[in-house]
Amino acid sequence: MNLRTSAAVYQKELLEIFRDRRTMISMVVVPLVAIPLMFNLINRFMTSREKQAEGESITVGVLDESKVPTVLPALKAAGFRPVVKADLRAAVANKEVAAAVEEAEAETGDAVTGKRISIYIDRTRQASDIAGDKIRTALDKLKIDTVRASLRGSGVSEKILTPFSTTRVNVASEKKMSGLIFGSALGYIVILLMFTGAMYPAIDMTAGEKERRTLEAVLCSPAGRNEIVFGKILATSTAAFITALLTLGSMAYSFRFAPHASQSQEAFHMGAPDIGSLAMALFAVIPTAIMAASLMVAIALFAKSYKEGQSYLTPIVMLAAFPAVVGMLPGLELTPVLALIPIFNVCQLIKEIFLGEFSRAAFAVTLGSNLVYAAIAFYIASRIFKSESVLFRV
Amino acid sequence: MIQVDKLAKSFKDKKRGIVHALDHVSFQVKAGEIFGLLGPNGAGKTTCLRLLATILKPTSGTAQVGGADIVQSPESVRRQIGFLSGDMGSHARLTPREVLSFFGKLNGITGSKLSQRIDQMVELFDFREYADTKIDKLSTGMKQKVAIARTVLHDPPILILDEPSAGLDVPTARLIERFILNAKESGKCILFSTHVMEEAEYLCDRIGVVHQGRLKAEGTMEQLRELTGKQRLREIFLDLLDMPEAVGAGI
Repeated sequence: MNLRTSAAVYQKELLEIFRDRRTMISMVVVPLVAIPLMFNLINRFMTSREKQAEGESITVGVLDESKVPTVLPALKAAGFRPVVKADLRAAVANKEVAAAVEEAEAETGDAVTGKRISIYIDRTRQASDIAGDKIRTALDKLKIDTVRASLRGSGVSEKILTPFSTTRVNVASEKKMSGLIFGSALGYIVILLMFTGAMYPAIDMTAGEKERRTLEAVLCSPAGRNEIVFGKILATSTAAFITALLTLGSMAYSFRFAPHASQSQEAFHMGAPDIGSLAMALFAVIPTAIMAASLMVAIALFAKSYKEGQSYLTPIVMLAAFPAVVGMLPGLELTPVLALIPIFNVCQLIKEIFLGEFSRAAFAVTLGSNLVYAAIAFYIASRIFKSESVLFRV
Repeated sequence: MIQVDKLAKSFKDKKRGIVHALDHVSFQVKAGEIFGLLGPNGAGKTTCLRLLATILKPTSGTAQVGGADIVQSPESVRRQIGFLSGDMGSHARLTPREVLSFFGKLNGITGSKLSQRIDQMVELFDFREYADTKIDKLSTGMKQKVAIARTVLHDPPILILDEPSAGLDVPTARLIERFILNAKESGKCILFSTHVMEEAEYLCDRIGVVHQGRLKAEGTMEQLRELTGKQRLREIFLDLLDMPEAVGAGI
């Protein structure tokens, strides 16, 4: 095989890729513009929703302030604003109040105060759920205070209430915590966009060339079929890799700099990965980029027009998303056997790279197996490229 | 330079079964000669030229192109030919200079030699003005000039031209005719297909009439006139199509 010829094909294809609007949108615009925009919008939406929920969650429905004498001071102390409602269930269901509290006489022996307190919430609503939690915390405090007051009179030490204290210690490092957030989503997004990034160049340089009737001139040149298809696959792989590179960079930037307001989003921001992990993740996706490119070139060769190529390759992108989604599931570990499953393996590997706990064996098996799949896909593509019936529909 | 020997190509078709696109065709073309393959649509002309350009493989028979066998040494064949088809598109996103550079490299021309050759082509075909303009901005005539330049960039001794003037207006078709005649003058071996009678009569030294995959007859205009007793090529052509078996001067 003459590599100079492949290099000429590669150069020409890259030139065409960079001048094709569709390819540039999927390869550059989506990762560089759509992803930061998406993160920004999600963040703003989450922030605004949390603020809205916070605001809504301070209203609590009561039948009458005089009918909740036991809990009213505690609720007011916790920042709740009581609102009188005749039908508490309906008021919560109709979103007139975040939650509602009702006091009733307890059955005999049910409670020291002789009261049974019901909290009404709508768990499908974030504001109501938050209000329910806050009311329970306020009432728990009231409960303890009531017991303390009783104990003070009886001469028993208040310490009996706290026989021991508990502390939860998170042994996961900051890198691991950030990796959990960043890595889980990243593998899926990178794979999905990488396949999309490879899709348009693959169609353009196969079905597109057929449609534009430029392929025949290349086939009549001294260039061998293997040399031509190698150049095309290399160019498609480059497009896929550039998409992955821009997606990773863009996501890292978005995680670091997207606007944030709440505590939960602080963790999101902590998720910005280190350069070493990013570089390793990029290295890990190379064989998958070649595999995706070879597979897409092979399939797109069967199409005789750009449109037909799109209908052949869109399901492939969707199929690729399935193992990528599985890779997002928590609790899975990349064993050497699981490392043989294409696409899933690289998603899981990316996650583990950012968690900082991947094994060298799994890394090697993932890269090795993906290289083998890439080689098989390349072989299939080169065979198809030699088929008269596929190229000329004869 | 081109020696075709009982060349045949069959395809499997779901509806029609086995289709004999080319049925044991034989002819030869010498250096400095223009040989025209004349036939109606679907006669097998394009299949024949694609076989000789080695982008299709024959079912049986063989051919020598520039001394190289189309089955045994396809790359050697492709090194010696320039292939142009009226049906070929152009690389719309590239400039003429980029197209020439790409095809030059595919033909093994590199470095300063490639730059010189590209400049020669630009001068020869007079497209300096738009040599660096994207092809999709060019007119059909301009595109055709670039296509011709691309075909002869590596100075091939053999030209295979598949209906090169199909769909072109008269001035652009004239451009193609001049190119073919100039190539003949410089001693190139030219095989071209057409279904335009006037073009074949005007350009060709010898004509082969192909119909339903078979070469019905081949020879000079005089030989074909003698064979059919008709004067004009249109009449000769129609006469030959009606003949049940292959006949004729060179057969």
